[in-house]
Order: sequence, then C-alpha cells, then structure tokens
Amino acid sequence: MRKFTVNREQKNLNPTDAQVKRHKDFSRLHHDYEKLTKRGKKPLYRDPKMFMFLLVIAIILLLLFLGELN
Amino acid sequence: MSRKEHSKQLSESEIIALAKTDQKYFGSLYDHYFDPIFRFVFKRLGGDEETAGDLTQQTFMKAMANMSKYEDRGFPFSSWLYRIAQNEVSMFFRQQSKVYSVAIDESRIQEFAQEADIFSSHMSMEDQDKLVEMLNGLNESELELIELRFFQEMSFKEIAEIYSVSEATAKMRTYRILERINKQWKNEE
Repeated sequence: MRKFTVNREQKNLNPTDAQVKRHKDFSRLHHDYEKLTKRGKKPLYRDPKMFMFLLVIAIILLLLFLGELN
Repeated sequence: MSRKEHSKQLSESEIIALAKTDQKYFGSLYDHYFDPIFRFVFKRLGGDEETAGDLTQQTFMKAMANMSKYEDRGFPFSSWLYRIAQNEVSMFFRQQSKVYSVAIDESRIQEFAQEADIFSSHMSMEDQDKLVEMLNGLNESELELIELRFFQEMSFKEIAEIYSVSEATAKMRTYRILERINKQWKNEE
C-alpha cells in the first residue's frame, strides 16, 4: 500500500542523467532474460523419437559386433 | 553490418517487427525508451532510485517476453511500455506489507488544487496536508489517473493512449474525480 506525502525535505523527484545511466544495461537484461527463459535440456527418456533412434543404432552395432564374433 | 547499425536505418515499426523474432533488435527499443520509463517509475516511487532501477528492468523483461503478442492498435509503442511499467509499480505497492510513502512536490499539489478549483492562491501547509489526505482516500485506479495527469504531468492524449481509451474518456474520468474532491473539500470547510 502507498500513501502520498508532501515533499518538504526537498527530495529530488527527477532522476539525474547519471542515475539513469547507472541502471541502463541491456546486456544484463538480455542475460537475465536468457537465464529465466532457457529451458533445461530434455532428458533422453522424455524424447521417444531420439530414444528409439539411439536404440536402433545400439541394436545395429550389437548385431554387427555379434556378426564379427561369429 | 551490426544489428545496431542496421537498426538505425529502420523505422520503429520495422524494428518492432524484427524484435518479435530476434531479441537482439529489442536492444534498440530498450535504448530508446529506457530513459522515459525509468524517469516515470522513479517519479511514481517518489525518488527511490534502486527500486526504480529494478522495476524498470522488470518492465523491459516483461515487454521482451511478450513482444510476440504485441499488436499495433494505432497507439505509440511507448504507451504499451508505460502500461507495463504502470502495472509493475502498482503491483509493487500492493506487495508492500508496510505503507510506502510517495513524496509529491508542493508545486504539484498547488496545481492540483487550482485544477480542482479549491485554491487559486498559495495554500498553507495544513491545507496541503488535508488535500493529500483526501487524495489518499481515493481508490487505486482514481489515484493512478490523478498521478499521471498532475504528478507525471502527462497530457490527456498520453493518458488515453496508456489506457487505450479516447481522450474525451480520459478527460471525463479525471474531471469527475476533481469534482468529487471539490465537493468533499467544500463539505469539510
């Protein structure tokens, strides 16, 4: 909740250019945004297509290995 | 050619369109609008620099996240940013457990009193305090309107753009509040 008061202490209610400059930083904003929105990598077991693809490759490699042994 | 140099050759609407798909272009909008938004937030907070810095960054963060949803409805892009900033500050006030004091210059109160037809000459300190108390009794949406008009010194056109209403509506809402304050003041005299 806020309440208005009369500025009797003569506090500066308009920022100086130096104050504005101090807070202006697009690279920080971009970094914070990336940090906030970047999703973690999808685990393998949650990606059925990738899981099947790797499984097929593993089976082929296994069969090739067994074929070589025989 | 860097994005910054490229942005300089584009119109604002072109930059906005590019910023919807490439966040780096949002930097040009940030550079252009940071100053007025920071000043707006700083004033609304009564001169609290650190909080103004945080809330301004939050404002641009939200704008960046919602760029894809932004639609040009004939109002300037700045009015969209002011609306986000306005909401951020209001949310900040609501979240405060203690009463947050916002200082207003005496000259602004004096101007408000003249507009409300309460005083035409210089007001005493007691009268200023009495008027500020009346303002504190207004509801949040009424206070926001008074703030924009008298303490942020915005034109009715700018206020109308922030609220996406007509200028006549912004004027009518403001003068209704002034009339009520005027009646209340006369009743208490």
